[in-house]
Amino acid sequence: MLRGLLSFCRNLLRKTSVEADLHEEINSTVEILTEEKMRENLPRPEARRRALLELGGPEQVKERIREARAGTMVEQWLQDIRHGFRTLGRSPGFTVVAVATLALGIGINTAVFTIVNGVLLRPMPFPQPERLFLVAYTPQNGPFDNGPCLLDRDYLEFRREDRVFEQIASFAGGSANLSGAGDPANIPAARVTPDFFTVLRVNPSIGRDFLAGEDQPGHDHVALISDSLWRNRLAADPSALGKVIKLDGDDYSIIGIMPIGFRFPSNAEVWRPLATRIDPHASMMRPVIGRLKAGVPPRAAQAELDAFTRRFPSIPGEDRTAWRARILPVKEMLVEKIRPSLLVFTVAVGFVLLIACANVGNLMLARAAGRQPEIALRIALGAGRWRLVRQLFTESLLVSFAGGTAGVLLALWGVQPLLSLAPDGTIPRTEMIRMDGWVLAFTMCMSLATGMIFGLVPAFQTAGRGLREAVNRGGRTFTGRHESLRGALVIAEIALALVLLAGAGLMLRSFLRLRAVDPGFRAENVLTATVDLPDSIYRTASQMQAFHEQALSNLSVMPGVLAAGAVNWEPLGGNLVKGDFQIEGGRQLPSGYMVDKPCVSPGYVSAMGIRLLSGRDFTERDDASAPGVVIISRSVARDLWPGEDPIGKRISMEEHPKSKDWLTIIGVVDDVKQMSLSLKSDAAMYQPYRQVARPFFLSHMTFVVHTAYDPQTIASAMRAAFRKVDKNLPVQSIVTMQGLIAETTAEPRFRTRVLGLFAVLALSLALVGIYGVMAYTVVQRRHEIGIRMALGARSGDVLGMILRRTLLLAVAGIAIGSAGALALTRVLAKFLFEVSPGDPSTFVAVALLLCSAALGAALIPARRATRIDPMLTLRYE
Amino acid sequence: MTEQRTDLLRGTLDLLILKSLTLEPLHGVGISRRISQITREAFHVSFGSLFPSLHRMEERGWVRAEWRTSENNRRAKYYQITSLGREQLKSEERDWKRVVKAMTTAIQST
Repeated sequence: MLRGLLSFCRNLLRKTSVEADLHEEINSTVEILTEEKMRENLPRPEARRRALLELGGPEQVKERIREARAGTMVEQWLQDIRHGFRTLGRSPGFTVVAVATLALGIGINTAVFTIVNGVLLRPMPFPQPERLFLVAYTPQNGPFDNGPCLLDRDYLEFRREDRVFEQIASFAGGSANLSGAGDPANIPAARVTPDFFTVLRVNPSIGRDFLAGEDQPGHDHVALISDSLWRNRLAADPSALGKVIKLDGDDYSIIGIMPIGFRFPSNAEVWRPLATRIDPHASMMRPVIGRLKAGVPPRAAQAELDAFTRRFPSIPGEDRTAWRARILPVKEMLVEKIRPSLLVFTVAVGFVLLIACANVGNLMLARAAGRQPEIALRIALGAGRWRLVRQLFTESLLVSFAGGTAGVLLALWGVQPLLSLAPDGTIPRTEMIRMDGWVLAFTMCMSLATGMIFGLVPAFQTAGRGLREAVNRGGRTFTGRHESLRGALVIAEIALALVLLAGAGLMLRSFLRLRAVDPGFRAENVLTATVDLPDSIYRTASQMQAFHEQALSNLSVMPGVLAAGAVNWEPLGGNLVKGDFQIEGGRQLPSGYMVDKPCVSPGYVSAMGIRLLSGRDFTERDDASAPGVVIISRSVARDLWPGEDPIGKRISMEEHPKSKDWLTIIGVVDDVKQMSLSLKSDAAMYQPYRQVARPFFLSHMTFVVHTAYDPQTIASAMRAAFRKVDKNLPVQSIVTMQGLIAETTAEPRFRTRVLGLFAVLALSLALVGIYGVMAYTVVQRRHEIGIRMALGARSGDVLGMILRRTLLLAVAGIAIGSAGALALTRVLAKFLFEVSPGDPSTFVAVALLLCSAALGAALIPARRATRIDPMLTLRYE
Repeated sequence: MTEQRTDLLRGTLDLLILKSLTLEPLHGVGISRRISQITREAFHVSFGSLFPSLHRMEERGWVRAEWRTSENNRRAKYYQITSLGREQLKSEERDWKRVVKAMTTAIQST
């Protein structure tokens, strides 16, 4: 088969040279014949004429040769394939199990590759995406946390100096409160510099792009909207152009509608102009994108950027060496976070496929042993050994391609369930995930490769054996070589399964540790709702406080509500404000000491169930006219007043506090996980919202209610309570606190689940493999077992014999697998929380699980062995 | 190989070609002359059958071909039997003897 394939390719690829060779051969034959005739003293022309006559027409001969060459190959191929189908059809059990095993292995690989292909490999859906690059600071080592971006100042400077990019634009993702088009809603919204779409080379499908100068005040109340926004909220009205919508309370007129599916960046529904200018007080960091000039290699752009950063050393933070300005493919921005997970999954399913291959290889070996008589007969009848190898191999390929086809079907069905395991937003570019030519080509290659892996060795083992051996043994007995090969395959399966189980075990352990973390508050029966007060309507702190007060009083009288409160940056919400403060008496804070500064309503502490350790909670009397008060968290008390009672001590948030700026500590509460369950609790200092004057601290507020029963049931009542205060204000999200916690642990849970799923698959396949091999061993050795029992061996001895062998294989597999796992689980380190990649207890647990599962799988054939009737087997022989 | 046995004539030709190559590598004309010689002029193989057969056997790996310079300083394609070809020859000889024996028995039986 292989040789046929090679020669087929040779014939195709070197068609001209094969033709030339043929031509030359015929010519040389004519010459040889002519010379032969000339030796009979014929003149050359006559000699040549006779030579041609004897040859019988050079072109006809050539044609017949061509036919013969092609004929043999195709004929032998077809014959092998026909034969393969016939023999496979004769053993449907084998065929079904082998194809199903491979379909599982190939299917899951195809599904994962479909996702990897769509997310990581397909280019971005812009014209000539290979020329689009982000310009960004990146950490010297490791991925960026907050997305790739550049300071406005550097962006403007770089844009002025740059010679290698056609154009450079900047943009920012975010959200906006939309009203004036259906119900008020908070939608993803982007701000982009006017040349942004020119850089991407994407044009609105209706209307126009931003014009230069539309980022300037007075001209900047224009917006582009997404196709989906246009369809869902403006009924796809063609007269929507020029219509005015309200974003965060300001009017914007629609100037264009983007093409279907275009949602870049950050899934935006609406794009507004962005002005970048240098502000001496604050410099924003934003992503920057540029299109390289045609023919300029990315290396040149990087060199230019390096030269630029050397002259303008304005890298954020103190540690310059930790950062580097780099150009990155645009895709990086989207796939940076998910890539490590996807690569881990790819390796994991690769292991599953290898286990499937080992299983099918084992089946092949067992089957080949059963076919020894047939093969012996064919060798005796003169079948070439090579031809037999080729035939057995053709069978393997038929099986693997059938498995591949079934695998594609499985993957078609399986991609969606796999994706649905992922929490929203974890997997970017889902619109690119589909089965395409690349995926099919990948599956083809994989089928071919698996066919080779599980098919070649058994083929050579079987057909390569000498005739005498085959005839002598007559197919009755297995050979030692087969037995040890089978053992090696089982060991490999167990080793592979162990690596996956260890990986999944570590993830699970880490996830459980994460879940067991005490967040510092009561998550049960708490419902949260977040509102953003647009500063175009709520202009002063007191307007905002009035809203909060009214909302809180509406919430607290709702039936089922035990307590209501509000906080500006809710725990685990992903945002916080940190800062330092002064201690009365001139004592300095430890250098770099910063605390979270949430601002809360009276009742927040009890609504959230945050433990009040000493002192009192805020009350309604702690308002602007009352003396300033704060509540500190346990860490602040421990860090600054160890062994002392902090209650009554005074601090100030101001740099040069006047006497009214001193705030008295009235209570100490427990630490709360503010950023993430996996990070340590931040020290915090709570202020009552009525004593906070800066609108910045009041415009974003999360309301929490502690309910007497299932908090979901009052979600709509909660929405109504807000609408009663301001009917135009969209409530961003109403989620339970437990939901919020689940959201923050969603990614680890996703990774754990997917890896766990693959590990379970691997384990099941390995167990099927162990069962199969042991069952086969029992059948093969029934004669020997029969004799042993006839000689007095008890069934316990026989059981022990089989289980001992299983244990031996399992232990060998576990030893090899542990070594491999120790090397491989290191890549999981960044996913693990309070678990080391070599965690001994996980490894021991996984090894024990695998051992007992292997013994369990071997128990069925072992018990069958004990029921062998010695008389029957001896008579059979 | 079953397909050869069903086609006796082609099988015979293959057998003759392989046999003619057992001593030394030969070019096409050489093979034709050698076959005439070893069959005492009973068979004259036409080139229209010889070459396709040679190429088929080359595809199957029974013979190997290479360009060499002939005794008269002419470049010619020489065919050489491979070990696979020798095995094939043995099995074809065996088959042939069996057929001959069977046929002889059949003919003599009445």
